[in-house]
Amino acid sequence: MTGLFKTRLQRHLREMAKYLRLVFNDFFVFALLFFLGGLGWGYSNVLKTLKSGLWWAPLVAMLVLVIVAQIGRFATLIEDADRVFLLPRERAMHAYLVAARRYSQFLAQCTQLIALFILAPFLSVALGWTLPQVLVLAVAQVVLKDSLLRLDLASVYQVTGQRRMNQWEFKWLLAIIVVASGVWLSPYVALILALVADGAVTVWERQHWQRQQIRWREQIKIEDNRMLGIYRFFNMFTEVPMVSGTIKRRRYLDWLFKGIKLNHSQTYLYLFSRGMVRGTDFSGLVVRLTVIGMLLLYFVRGEWLPVILAALFIYLIGFQLLPFFQQYDDVVFTHVYPVLPELRLKSFVKLVTLILSTTALLMWVVVVIANPQLMTAGITLVVEAIEVWYLARIYTPHRLARADKK
Amino acid sequence: MALEVSHVVGGYSQIPVLKDISFDVKDGELVGLIGLNGAGKSTTINHVIGLLTPHKGKISINGITIDQDSQAYKQQIAYIPETPVLYQELTLREHLEMTMMAYDLDQKAAWEKAHKLLKTFRLANKLDWFPANFSKGMKQKVMIVCAFLTNAKLFIIDEPFLGLDPLAVNDLLNLIEQRKKTGASILMSTHVLDTAQRYCDRFVLLHDGQVKTEGTLSELQAALPEAGESLNDIYLSMTKVDRA
Repeated sequence: MTGLFKTRLQRHLREMAKYLRLVFNDFFVFALLFFLGGLGWGYSNVLKTLKSGLWWAPLVAMLVLVIVAQIGRFATLIEDADRVFLLPRERAMHAYLVAARRYSQFLAQCTQLIALFILAPFLSVALGWTLPQVLVLAVAQVVLKDSLLRLDLASVYQVTGQRRMNQWEFKWLLAIIVVASGVWLSPYVALILALVADGAVTVWERQHWQRQQIRWREQIKIEDNRMLGIYRFFNMFTEVPMVSGTIKRRRYLDWLFKGIKLNHSQTYLYLFSRGMVRGTDFSGLVVRLTVIGMLLLYFVRGEWLPVILAALFIYLIGFQLLPFFQQYDDVVFTHVYPVLPELRLKSFVKLVTLILSTTALLMWVVVVIANPQLMTAGITLVVEAIEVWYLARIYTPHRLARADKK
Repeated sequence: MALEVSHVVGGYSQIPVLKDISFDVKDGELVGLIGLNGAGKSTTINHVIGLLTPHKGKISINGITIDQDSQAYKQQIAYIPETPVLYQELTLREHLEMTMMAYDLDQKAAWEKAHKLLKTFRLANKLDWFPANFSKGMKQKVMIVCAFLTNAKLFIIDEPFLGLDPLAVNDLLNLIEQRKKTGASILMSTHVLDTAQRYCDRFVLLHDGQVKTEGTLSELQAALPEAGESLNDIYLSMTKVDRA
C-alpha cells in the first residue's frame, strides 16, 4: 500500500512540476522578486518604527501563527475509483494514509518554519524575545502542526462523535490555545501543550482506527476540493483542463436577457449570454479584471498612463474571452441544431462587443473621475472605442474562423 | 424516401468502423437499428446527424445531402441521444425556448405543444429548474420533449428505452405512433428487442460494421428459417456466427 502511495505521489509531483514550470516563467519570477523585495523592505521599515511593549504585538503574532498553522493540508491523493477498487483492502489503507501524512508533513512544516523565520525579528523587536525563546516557539508550532495533521488522519475514519473533532472550529481552537499560551505566557508552555495535544491525538487514533471504517465519500470530496484549489491557482496562469467552473442561477440578473429577442438568428446569443452570466469561469474573469483595472485607473495619474492601462485591460479581457466560443462544442446539439455556423459566430461577436463596451465605459468613468484633464478623458474614450471595435468586430471573428478551420 | 444511406464507409479515424453500409427509412416508417455493442449503431447515427463525415458513400434526407445545404438537412432532423446532453447553464424553460429558436418555430404554437408534452412526461412543474441536476430518466424526458417540439421529418433516437420508466416508454411509443401518422420517419437503435419487435416496421441488423440483413420481421424469418420466430432468436443466431 505504501507502494501505491509512492506511485501516486510520483505522478502527482510530475504533474505539479509540469504546472509549476508554467507558473514560474521568467516574467513571473521577475515580478515576484520585485514584489518580495518590496515587501521585505517595507517590513524592515516597519520594524524600525516599532518599540517593545505594544499591546497589539502579541495579538498580531498569534493571528499570524494560528493562520499559518492551518496551511498545509493533509494530501491523501485518494481518487474516486478507490471506494470501489480499494474497498476490499480497507484495513491496509492505514499504511497508505500514514505515508500520505508523512508526505504532507514536509510542505506543511517548511511553511511553519519559514513563517517563524519571518516572524522572528518581529518577536524579538516587539516582544523582546531571545533566540532560545523563538526556537522553542518554532518547535511548539511544528508539534502543533503535527497534531493537526494527525487529527486529519484520525478523522479519515468514522468515529462516533469524531465528526465534531474534524471540524475546522476544533482545529482553530486548538491552534489558538497553543499559540496564545506561547505568546502571552511562555513558549515553553506552548511546547508542553502542543506535545500533550499531539500525544493525545496519536493515542486516540491508534486506539480506534482498526475498528473503524474509512469515510470514503468525505475523503474523496476533501481531496477533490484540495486538488481543485491547486488547479484553480494554476488556472490563473495557464489553461488547466481539470478546472470547470460551477453554475449559479443568478436569478437577479435575468433582466440582462430581456433585450434578446426570441428569434432564430439570436439562438446562440440566447445561450452565450446565459452561459456567460451563470457560469463562474468567464464571468469571474471579466469581473476580476474589470475591478482591478478600475482600481488601478483610480490611483494612476498622468496624461498617457491611464490611456495605456485602460487599453491594456480591455485587450486582456477581450483576449481571454475567445475560448468561450468553444464552450459548447462538446454539446452535440451545437452541431445538430439547424443554425448556420456564421450565425453562431455573429452572436459571439455581439456578446464580446457588449461585454467589452461595458468594461470600457466603466473604466472610462473612473478615468474621468480620477483625471481632471479633459484631454486624457477624451483620448481614452477614442482609444477605447477603436480598440473595442477592432477586438470584437475584426480580431475575434478572424481568429475564431481560423481556429474553426483547423 | 426520408433517409437514404448508400455505401457509407466511415468512422472516427482513418480506420473505418462502417464497411460499406446501405439502408433506407421510408416516409412514415419506424426502422430499428439492431446490433451488438460496437457493431456500429452509434457511428451510423453520428454519420446521419452530421457529426462525422463519411469517407465514402452518401447520406441524404429527402434528397438533400449535408454538403448541398446543411441548414435544410439539419432542419429535418430531431435527435435524441443515448446519454442525455444538456446545456449546464440553461433551465428547462430555456432549453425549450432555445430549441424553438434553433428550429425557427412559431413560439406560440410551439409552447402549446410543449405544455402538452411536459404534462405527459410530468415535467410541467420543473420549468425553472436546471435539468442538468435531474435524474437520468428525467433528463431523457427533456431530450424527448425538445425533439418532439420540432416539426422534424426524421427522428433519430438512440437507445430510448433504458432509464425511462414504463409509463414514459409507453408515452414515447405513442408519440412515435402519432408522428408516423403525419408522415415522419424514425430511425431508432435499441437492445430492447421485444419492444422493437412489436413496434418497428423494419429492422436493420448491423454486425461488425456491416448490414447483416434488413427487412420486416417476416422477411427476416424467411431469410433465416432455422433461426426461430422472434427477433431475439434471429438476433442471437446472427451473432453466433462470430462466436463459433
